[in-house]
Amino acid sequence: MAKGTALQQAEIERLVERAKRGDQHAFGRLVEEYKDKIYSYVSRMLGDPYEAEDVTQEAFLRAYRSLPRFRGAASFHTWLYRIASNLAIDVVRRRRRSDNVSYSLDEPLETDDGEYDREIADDTRGPEEASGTRETQVAVRRAIMDLPGKLRDVMVLYELQGETYEDIAQILAVPLGTVKSRLFNARNQLKERLKSLVAAGEIEVEQ
Amino acid sequence: MMCRQVRQELIACWGSTDELEAAAVEHLRVCEACRIEAALLRETRVLLHSLPAEHAPSGLTKRVVARIADEQQPAGWWSRLAAWFVPEGSPAWARATAVGVAIALAAVGGTVLYHGTTSPGPDQAIIATTVAGGAQLAIGQQEIEDLMVRHQTLELTQPLADDPGVHLVMYTSY
Ligand SMILES: [Zn+2]
Repeated sequence: MAKGTALQQAEIERLVERAKRGDQHAFGRLVEEYKDKIYSYVSRMLGDPYEAEDVTQEAFLRAYRSLPRFRGAASFHTWLYRIASNLAIDVVRRRRRSDNVSYSLDEPLETDDGEYDREIADDTRGPEEASGTRETQVAVRRAIMDLPGKLRDVMVLYELQGETYEDIAQILAVPLGTVKSRLFNARNQLKERLKSLVAAGEIEVEQ
Repeated sequence: MMCRQVRQELIACWGSTDELEAAAVEHLRVCEACRIEAALLRETRVLLHSLPAEHAPSGLTKRVVARIADEQQPAGWWSRLAAWFVPEGSPAWARATAVGVAIALAAVGGTVLYHGTTSPGPDQAIIATTVAGGAQLAIGQQEIEDLMVRHQTLELTQPLADDPGVHLVMYTSY
């Protein structure tokens, strides 16, 4: 499912077929279509715009080279994400950050899979919410970067990129339950990391 | 309902009370700690979603397509030499620098080493380097091409027998 894309799915498939046969112009249109999606994902994963640009370019290049092997079992955008995700993880590893998430975080929750509703897919925000101050944004970005890589991946894909659980499971090659438990833990950890920032503002406690 | 259970449900719905079941709502009515937790989650969500959208730098599509077109051209010896030092997947600037260094080495070598001798033709450019002992080594473009071909064959199949690769490093490093 390709959300937020201007091109229709059928058109994407036609472009992919043409690009597979070496049509660089067709591939250019696919890059144009997905560049913001892939760049913003990588940028939010790495927190560095220059590295993000390099990784984004490399992801598209690798996608082009691997197109003959793309069978269309996954949607094209999921497949692109998967390539970008692997490259971003490589960068994170090279930075020698300890991104190990303890097993307990990845264990399925006690709750049923169906428990999480997709209330966040609705991206309509009030103007006052959309305009965080610069310092606030820096603090939020830092809090996201401080999340363990596996949690950050799911947090970025679901909350910021608007991907579905199913697509994220494909992108990261993990079971659906793992996506949900990682998202749960990511939200919980982010809340803890932003606690002081939130407390500094006004907390409105509903009665 | 226990605090622990309520808090799990709160995380799942970002602290929104709209979708909570009646028992959880009733718990919130009497438990201030959980009410604060719900408020924290709502605020966290607002902060998270206050981040502005990110857009790819302008010209990215052009650069990707140019690199694809570039890759599909048969590579010159200089870019293959550069590729040997800078692995695939390195940033564009690193590859560009390596190409520049390879060309500069060829140009400097050609000028310095063949000074006073027969002026080299376009196919006889020289790469020169000073090794640790101060001795100068010289190698012609044709030799580099030969080494490159042999190196590329060996590096995957018989890396331990990849002497051409060793020679390429020796001849082209300061
Ligand atoms: Zn409670």
